[in-house]
Amino acid sequence: MAKFVTIGERLSTTAPAVNKAFTERDPEPIIKRAKQQLDAGATYLDVNIGPAENDGEELMKWAVQLLQSEFDNVPLALDTTNMKAIEAGISVYNRAKGKPIVNSADAGDRIANIDLAAANDAIVIALCSSGMVAADNDERMMHCQNMLERGMMLGMDPSDLWFDPLFLVVKGMQDKQMEVLEAIKMFSDMGLNSTGGLSNNSNGMPKHIRPIMDSALVAMAMMNGLTSAIVNPNDLRLMETIKSCDVFKGNTLYADSYLEI
Amino acid sequence: MPFNQKLQKFNAKINTVTIGSGDKTVTIGGDSTFPFYTFDAPSENTPKIGVEISDMGLENVVSEGIKAYYEGASTIGEMAKKAAAMEGADFVALILEGGDPNGVNKSVDELIAVVKEVADAIDAPLVVEGCKNVEKDAELLPKVAEALQGRNVLILSEKEENYKAIGAAAGLAYDQIVGAESAVDINLAKQLNVVTTQLGVNPQKIVMNIGSAAAGYGYEYVVSTMDRIKGAALSQNDNMLQMPIITPVSAETWGVKEATASEADMPEWGPEEERGIDMEVMTAAADLAAGSDAVILRHPEAVAAVSRLIKALA
Repeated sequence: MAKFVTIGERLSTTAPAVNKAFTERDPEPIIKRAKQQLDAGATYLDVNIGPAENDGEELMKWAVQLLQSEFDNVPLALDTTNMKAIEAGISVYNRAKGKPIVNSADAGDRIANIDLAAANDAIVIALCSSGMVAADNDERMMHCQNMLERGMMLGMDPSDLWFDPLFLVVKGMQDKQMEVLEAIKMFSDMGLNSTGGLSNNSNGMPKHIRPIMDSALVAMAMMNGLTSAIVNPNDLRLMETIKSCDVFKGNTLYADSYLEI
Repeated sequence: MPFNQKLQKFNAKINTVTIGSGDKTVTIGGDSTFPFYTFDAPSENTPKIGVEISDMGLENVVSEGIKAYYEGASTIGEMAKKAAAMEGADFVALILEGGDPNGVNKSVDELIAVVKEVADAIDAPLVVEGCKNVEKDAELLPKVAEALQGRNVLILSEKEENYKAIGAAAGLAYDQIVGAESAVDINLAKQLNVVTTQLGVNPQKIVMNIGSAAAGYGYEYVVSTMDRIKGAALSQNDNMLQMPIITPVSAETWGVKEATASEADMPEWGPEEERGIDMEVMTAAADLAAGSDAVILRHPEAVAAVSRLIKALA
């Protein structure tokens, strides 16, 4: 089995400093945050430029080229609702270290992002929902099947669809947590890759609690076959948990210094 | 239905390491397939063979064939020339066994003189092996690295107990190639590579000696360790295990009873010389099949046989 893939989530317009840097095309804060995440062990970096309706194409190209030239063609997840911006980003993307990830498609309005990924030989994150959170796993798996078939009809390799069960917030949806984990198990049993915004589970919790909840959930999810997550790689406890789980799963060979590499 | 060959492709490869300087160099590693899987991809560098000589000359050599090969060589320099000229030899390995404090306990200065004499006598790529005592090697091998500056030699080896002294001298101060030795322990093999690179040594200047045994002497652990190292290096793209592997064979095989028991004592086993060669060839062949990128041998007939095997398979 391959090592767990961490997608660093800290380059996002939801962070005011990043939003400002994207708007002003200021490389410094972007590079700084990217470096922090890569130093902490992120494999992919998510580049969330928001809706970017006006200048999305130009902005995504700028961000892709900036990050890939600065960090030896670091692989990226291109994250925006603006499809043209994703395509523009892919047009300047270097695949030496991994295919681009289209973030994201769902089984509803955003299903065309699967077509976009297929046309551009990209990976796509496929959210198992359609507008609303899936009511149960029957619905999740129906969405999963639909998106899988669509991708395969377009010639995609099934391993390039990374299914997202949609992690749910504990405060309010505690009774749904095991269902999400079961969905991951079902993806895994079908031999599919999976990912998701794992830290959603701890939304609204005190800051010192979140790493604990995130670490416990990632361990349970990896046990059930989760192959990737969109996370804050600068959460040390979480990264240590992921590395330790990779050892238990045989995804990486143990050495005493395993936490340092 | 027609047969469709499905190639096993990895997005990873073993590091390429070049030993030696000037016109005479030898390059090991570089493959992105399992050993001899040339049906998946051609081998970038076929496995290489080193011929081992000792600072003790022929004193501890039991084989008549080895003695005969070096006949007429009165100095270590002349022995080195003969070793370099052996049919099938790619490099020379000098083992400084006389340095062992529990043996002859030669001084570091005395051994450095031997090292220099050998280096001056040949321009073939050179590997220098310590005496195996961790304290003595920590003192001796940095001096070897210093004395051979510019020759780009492989220093065998640093171990867990002395990697700081040897790794820093060989890999940083004097720009040689560092051999990282573990005793058939896959986790330690990886750990040594991690800490050696953390010292600042370039991963492309590290070669692993993951340990060996004579065939029949716990040898299956050697095979499974090499197998798992190559598996992790290629299928998991583990760059802390992508260093090529060198395996000294003869020091193990010429010490076991199959090689040393005389024909007079064991008439049903046949001539000891043949048994010794067979042990060397069998162990080396198994090492290569399990993942060694280079082996170190002594007997001219073993070197010739293993060389033929590599040509036939690679």
